[in-house]
Amino acid sequence: MLDYEVTSGASMASDTQQIALGLRRGDVVVLEALVEQYQYRLVRYLIYLLGRRDGVDDLVQETWLRVLERGSSYDGQSRFESWLFRVARNIAVDAMRRRRMSGLDSNDDDDVRLAPASDEPSPFTIAARTEDADRLARSLETLEPVYREVLVLRFQEDLSLQEISAIVGAPVSTVASRIYRGLATLRPQFQGETA
Amino acid sequence: MNIDRHESFQHMIDESLASGISAERERSLRQHLDTCALCQEYLSASNRVIAGLGGFSFEMDPTLNARVLASLRRPAQQVQAGQPGRRRWALIGVTAVVLTLGGSFVDLQFGGLIAAVFDIQRTQVRQELLAFWIVPSLCVLLLFPLLPLLLKAGAHREERTL
Repeated sequence: MLDYEVTSGASMASDTQQIALGLRRGDVVVLEALVEQYQYRLVRYLIYLLGRRDGVDDLVQETWLRVLERGSSYDGQSRFESWLFRVARNIAVDAMRRRRMSGLDSNDDDDVRLAPASDEPSPFTIAARTEDADRLARSLETLEPVYREVLVLRFQEDLSLQEISAIVGAPVSTVASRIYRGLATLRPQFQGETA
Repeated sequence: MNIDRHESFQHMIDESLASGISAERERSLRQHLDTCALCQEYLSASNRVIAGLGGFSFEMDPTLNARVLASLRRPAQQVQAGQPGRRRWALIGVTAVVLTLGGSFVDLQFGGLIAAVFDIQRTQVRQELLAFWIVPSLCVLLLFPLLPLLLKAGAHREERTL
């Protein structure tokens, strides 16, 4: 069985307090360290959420700007990444809405579609580095974003159901159901064979 | 063994992976897994999905960090300039006290002058100045130390609308 519980100790609390203080002050050194530490994870989260690579860098930039602008609202009581992903999610959802609206205005179906065009390799296919990842890539591409999102938050970010619930703004029971459903969709790739 | 029982244990596996289960349920699950090939395969496939999710490595634009940091520098300076530090709060506080006390003193002097010019009782003018001007000013001054707390509460409200 796998144990994904992450211990939270006094050192983490002191780290998050330092981050909160740094953000309140607009401390460039703290920001540099945060960008350095969390950039890849932020990019990965947004790719899982959107299912595409293009436009992610712009959202990343917008996310960090929002982090700076709203930094005083991070109180250091929770893990920084939970707060960061919440900020990123809100920005991504707004961007999706804008895309849909502009798509409706222009009657252009390409704008409405959030997944990459079928002839383009998905970001998951490009990023797959193991045989199992390669097998998951196609299923991930077609999996709904809400399921991809909870899978990456739970199994890559090691966040608890409560933390994920705060990020996605859904009850813990809904988050759990999404994880079960996401796993159920991907599991057939490996069933019916010996590991 | 009936299908429902397998489903029950497979749900337990899902729960275990998603949030963990109690030691007692885990013991029961392990006992079941020792004898059930179907549920073993279910667990193995689930674990491979989870391990497979770790097999992606997304390429990053090597200039992204530098671009982000460059775009943050100016706003960060604005945040620094707009955030009064402790020393600045203390300075603002002392200035407020001096202005309020000095203003109150000037008011009382000016009240005496007005009373003399308009031939009104000096004590009456002073009482009215005290009631309607000086005491409210001092009350506002007493609220001044609460300003940082009010700003913090405002920030918490902002968090809900991230």
